[in-house]
Amino acid sequence: MDALLTSAVAGLTAGGTYALLGVCAVFTYRLVSVVNFTGAAIGTAGTFALIALTEAGYPTWPSVFAGILVGTFVGVAIGYVMTRWFAESSASTKAAVTVALLVGLIAVGLRLTGGQHPHVMPELFPGSAFRLAGVEVTIASMLTIGLAVLFTVLSDLFLNRTRVGLHLRALSDRPMAAELLGVKVQLLSLLVWGLTGAFTTFALMIIAPQRSPNFMTLSLLVVPALAAALVGLFRSFWLTLAGGILLGVIEGMASTVDSISQYRSAIPFLVVLAVLLWSQREARWDEAR
Amino acid sequence: MSRLVVSDLSVNRAELPVVSQVSLVAESGAISVLLGANGAGKTTLLEGLSGIIPVAGGRIELDGREIQKARPGVRSREGLAHVEQGRTVFRQLTTEENLKVGLSREAELAQAYDLFPELVQRRTIRAGLLSGGEQQMLVIARALLTRPKVLFIDEMSAGLAPVIVTRLMNAVRRLADEGLAVLLVEQFAALALSIGDRAYVMRRGRIVHDGECKALAKKPDELHRLYLGTEAA
Amino acid sequence: MKRASLRASLALAAALAAGGAAVVGLLPSYWVFLATSVLITGVALQSLGLVAGRTGMIALCQMSFAGVGAWTVGYLNLAEAPGGLTVWILLGGLAAVPFGVAIGLPALRLRGINLAIVTLSFATAFDTILATITYPGQAAFIQVPRPALFDSDGGYFIFVLIVYAVIAVALEFLARSRLGASWLAVRHSERAAAAHGVSIAASKLSAFAISAFIAGISGGLLAGYLGTLVAENFSMMASLSLYAVAVMTGAHFAEGAIIGGILVVMFPEILRRFDLPQDIGNVLFAIGATQALSTGETMSETFRRLCRKLRPARRAKAADAAGSSLPQPAAHAAPVALEIDNLSVRYGSVVALDHVSLKVTAGTVAGLIGPNGAGKSTFIDAVTGFLNAYDGGVKLAGAALEGHSAHQRARAGVRRTWQTNRIAPELTVGGYLNLAAKGLTESEIRAVLHWLDCPDPETPVTTVDAGTRRLLDVAGVVAARPAVVLLDEPAAGQSHEESVRLGQRIAQIPKLFGSAVLLVEHDMDLVRSVCSEITVLDFGKVIASGPPTKVLGEPAVKKAYLGIEEESVAA
Repeated sequence: MDALLTSAVAGLTAGGTYALLGVCAVFTYRLVSVVNFTGAAIGTAGTFALIALTEAGYPTWPSVFAGILVGTFVGVAIGYVMTRWFAESSASTKAAVTVALLVGLIAVGLRLTGGQHPHVMPELFPGSAFRLAGVEVTIASMLTIGLAVLFTVLSDLFLNRTRVGLHLRALSDRPMAAELLGVKVQLLSLLVWGLTGAFTTFALMIIAPQRSPNFMTLSLLVVPALAAALVGLFRSFWLTLAGGILLGVIEGMASTVDSISQYRSAIPFLVVLAVLLWSQREARWDEAR
Repeated sequence: MSRLVVSDLSVNRAELPVVSQVSLVAESGAISVLLGANGAGKTTLLEGLSGIIPVAGGRIELDGREIQKARPGVRSREGLAHVEQGRTVFRQLTTEENLKVGLSREAELAQAYDLFPELVQRRTIRAGLLSGGEQQMLVIARALLTRPKVLFIDEMSAGLAPVIVTRLMNAVRRLADEGLAVLLVEQFAALALSIGDRAYVMRRGRIVHDGECKALAKKPDELHRLYLGTEAA
Repeated sequence: MKRASLRASLALAAALAAGGAAVVGLLPSYWVFLATSVLITGVALQSLGLVAGRTGMIALCQMSFAGVGAWTVGYLNLAEAPGGLTVWILLGGLAAVPFGVAIGLPALRLRGINLAIVTLSFATAFDTILATITYPGQAAFIQVPRPALFDSDGGYFIFVLIVYAVIAVALEFLARSRLGASWLAVRHSERAAAAHGVSIAASKLSAFAISAFIAGISGGLLAGYLGTLVAENFSMMASLSLYAVAVMTGAHFAEGAIIGGILVVMFPEILRRFDLPQDIGNVLFAIGATQALSTGETMSETFRRLCRKLRPARRAKAADAAGSSLPQPAAHAAPVALEIDNLSVRYGSVVALDHVSLKVTAGTVAGLIGPNGAGKSTFIDAVTGFLNAYDGGVKLAGAALEGHSAHQRARAGVRRTWQTNRIAPELTVGGYLNLAAKGLTESEIRAVLHWLDCPDPETPVTTVDAGTRRLLDVAGVVAARPAVVLLDEPAAGQSHEESVRLGQRIAQIPKLFGSAVLLVEHDMDLVRSVCSEITVLDFGKVIASGPPTKVLGEPAVKKAYLGIEEESVAA
C-alpha cells in the first residue's frame, strides 16, 4: 500500500506537467481553434536553450529567463505560420499543419542538440515540499500542479475581466465578425501562441530532469497532454487539469507493478480510447459540412 | 462628410466571377439601396467591400484613400462597418459584451441603448438566446459603436416579422439622417425603396440599374424586369 | 467505370514493368537494393494515401501497422509456419486489420482530429511495446527467408514490384468503385454522403481496415527485405515523417506514392554522399507538407495540372445519349409519397418550425415556398434526418421514419439536394452518379446526364461550372428513383432561360422516374409552372396551402413575400 502511495505521489510531477500542457492545448484550441501537436516541442526548444546556456557556464536563473523567451519566440513563430497562411483553413487542416511542423521541429531540434547525446539538465527545484502520510512530496510536483491551477484561474480571470480577454472570446466565437469590428485578430492570436509557449517552456524545464532530456522524448509529451485535453473534451480547463494529474498518478502507480511497468507509455493511448468511446455516444454532424 | 466610391470592382468566389465591374457610391446622410434576386452577387459584393474576400480588380476609395488591399480589420478601423447576413452575434457573449467588443473611444454604450431601448433589459443575457429581431438590433448597434463612416447592412429583414422590419428600417433612416453613409442590401424591395435615396439593382454580378429610389418604387414592372431579366408576368 | 479502371490499370502495369526492367537491367545492384526500399516505402505510402488522401483524416501510426505485419512475419518464421514469405506477408496484413478497425472505431463520429490523437498515442504505445517484446528472432539473428524464386536482391526487387503493382491496380479499381467514391464524398461533406445513403461509419471503417492491411503488407515486405528488424524500423518518428511525405506528394496517386518513396529513401542517401546530416530530409518534408496544405495542392496534383495544360484543352462535352435510354421508372405503390404531421423544431427559444403539416401525393410535384428564414431548409433537414430532434411525425409511403438516421432515410427513399455545392470535386461526373444512384448501367447514366444537360460521364467535376453542378446534384437524386425527392432551390443562380428548362424537366420527374417531388424554390414562375399544390411557410408556420394560382393570390402570402400589404410586384 505504502509503495503504491509513494509511486502515486511520484507521478504527481509528471501529472502536473501533463495538466499544464493539457490546459495550454485547450487554451490554444478554444481561442485560436488549433489542435496543436507542437505544444510540447515549443517548450522543449526553450528548455534546450536553457540547457545550452547553463552548459556554456551562464548562471541558472538568467538562463531560465532566456529559455522562456526562446520558447515564447518559437510559439509566436509557429503562431505566425498558422495565422498568416491557415487562418481560414479547417480545424483538421490546421492540425495536419502542426503535425508537419512537429516533424520539422524535432528534426531541427535533434540536429542542434546532437541527437541522443546526453545533456545535463539542472534541477531547478530540488528537494521536497512536505511529507504526506510518510511520503515525500517534491517541490517540483507542487510547482507544476500549482502552475497549472494558476494558469487555469488566471486565464479565467483574464478572459472574463479584461478587454483583451473579451476580444479573445469574441475571436473564438466568430473570428470574422470580430475582425470586422476592428479587433486585431492576428496580434491577439500571436499573443495566445506566445503565452502558451512561455508556460509550456517553464513546465518542461521542471519535468526535464526526470526524463531523458532528449529533444524527441520531451516533444512527444504532447501525447499525454492531448490525452488530458481530451478528458476535458477540449472545453473544460478544470477537467483537463484533473485528467492530466490523474494520468501522471496512474503512470506512477503502474511503474511499481513489474509486469506492466514497461508498458506504461501505453496508458495515454488507453485513456484516449476510453474517453473517445465514452464521449461519442451520440451522433453529431461535423459543423458546416 | 464621408464618401465611399467603388469603381469597376470585380470579386470572385471559388475562382468564379460573381461580381463584375461594379461601380457605386455611398455618401454621408444617404441610404444607397442595393437590390437583386437571390444569387445576383449582392452579398459577395459587400464581402469584397469589407475585405472578407479579396477583390479581383477595381478600386474602393473611402474619402479619397484606396483601401481595396487592406485587411478587414484595417478597413474597419478606417471607418467601414459591415453587418453580415445571418445575424452574426457572438453567441457566447452577453448583449453588453457584444456591444463592448468594437466599442470605439468616442462612442458610448448609451448610444446603442438609445437607438434600441429593447436591448437594455437584455444586457446580461447571452446573445445566442436573444430573439431574431433583438439579434438584428444588436449587430446593427454593435457595428454603430465602432463609430463608422460607412455602414453596410446585408439582408436585414430576412426572417423577421414585418413590424420589426419597419422598426429596423426607421432606425437605419435615423442613422443616415444623423450623417452616416448606409449601403443597404435587400432582396425584398418595397420597404427598402421607401426609406432609401439611391437605388442600385444587381443581376448576374453586374449593376443593371442606377437611379432614385422614389422613381423605381413607382415602377414595379420595371423592377420585376430588372430582377429576373424577363418581361413582367 | 470498368473500362476506365482497366485502361488506367494497364497503363500503370506497363509503366511499372518498364520501370522495373530498366532498374534491374541498367542499375548496379546497390541501386536495385535501394529501389526495392523505394517500392516498399511506396506500399506504405499507398496505405497512408488511402486514409489521409482519400478520406482526409490524419493517421499517424502507419508504421505501427507495418510493425504488426512485420512482427507477424517474424513470428511465423520462428514458428516455421507453412506457406513461406508470400503467405506470411498476407497473414501479416490481415493481422494489422483488427488494429486498424479498433483505432478507427472511436474516431468515427467526431472530428477527424481525434483520429490524429488516437493514432499518435497508439504509435507511442507501440513504440515502447515493440522495444520491450522485441522483434521475433532479433536476439538470435534468425533471418526471414525470401521466396526461393526471388532470393537475390534483383529477384526480391521483382517480387516487391509485383506486390506493388497488384496493390496499385486493386486501389485503382477501388478508387473508381462506389466505395472509393464514398470515401471522397465523406471527406468532402459527411452530410452530403449520408444523403446518398452512404453509411459514414462503414465508409470510414472500410478505409481504415484496407489501409491497415496494406500497411501490414509493407511491414512484411520489409521483413523479407532486411531479414531481421528492430523496433526503430517502425518508430513513431517514422510514422510522422511518412505522414508529412504523404501530404506533400499526394500518396493517394500512384505517382505520388512512388515519388514519396524515392524522397524517403534517396534523400538520406544523397545527403550521406555529400556528408550532410541526414535528418535535414525531415525538415524538407515538413516544409513541403506545410506548403502543400497551404496551397491545397499536392505534388501529384501540381504535376497532373501541368500535364493537363500541355495537352490540348478538351472542352467539357455534353453527355451523348445516342443509343441509351433512361432507367425504368421505379414503381411506388403508396398513394401518398410523403406525409408530414405537425412537425415542430426548436433551436433554444427560437421556434423554427411550428406544427407544419403537409402531404406530397405520389406522381406529383408539390412546392414549398416562403421568404428567407421562413424555415424551409430546417424543414428539409428535419425530414431527411439531419436534425437531432424534432416533434411530430414524418411518414414515407405510410411508414414512420422516426428513429432512422440520415443515410437510412435516404436508402428508404427520401432523397434531397443541397443549396450549396457539396459534390466532391475529385470525382468524375459518372463517378458521382454511380455514388448517388447504385447499380445504373453506363448507358443509363449517360441518358440521365443528357436529360439534364449535364456533361459527359468522364468529365472531372472540377471542370464543371457551379450552375451545372447544381443540375448534377438533381441528376443524382432522380437517377436513384426514390419515393420522393426534395429539391432545395435548384434554380438559384440560374438564368431565366435555364430555369424555364429546368422547370420542364422537374415537371417530368414523376412520370420518367416514378418519384414524387417536393420543390423548395424562390423563383415564383418556376413554382407556378410545375407545382400542382403549394404550401407557404412564414415564421415556421403554414400560412397557406392549395393550388398555386389560388395560394399566390392570397393577401397573407403577398404580405409575407413582399413585406407590404398591396404591391403589384411579383417577386
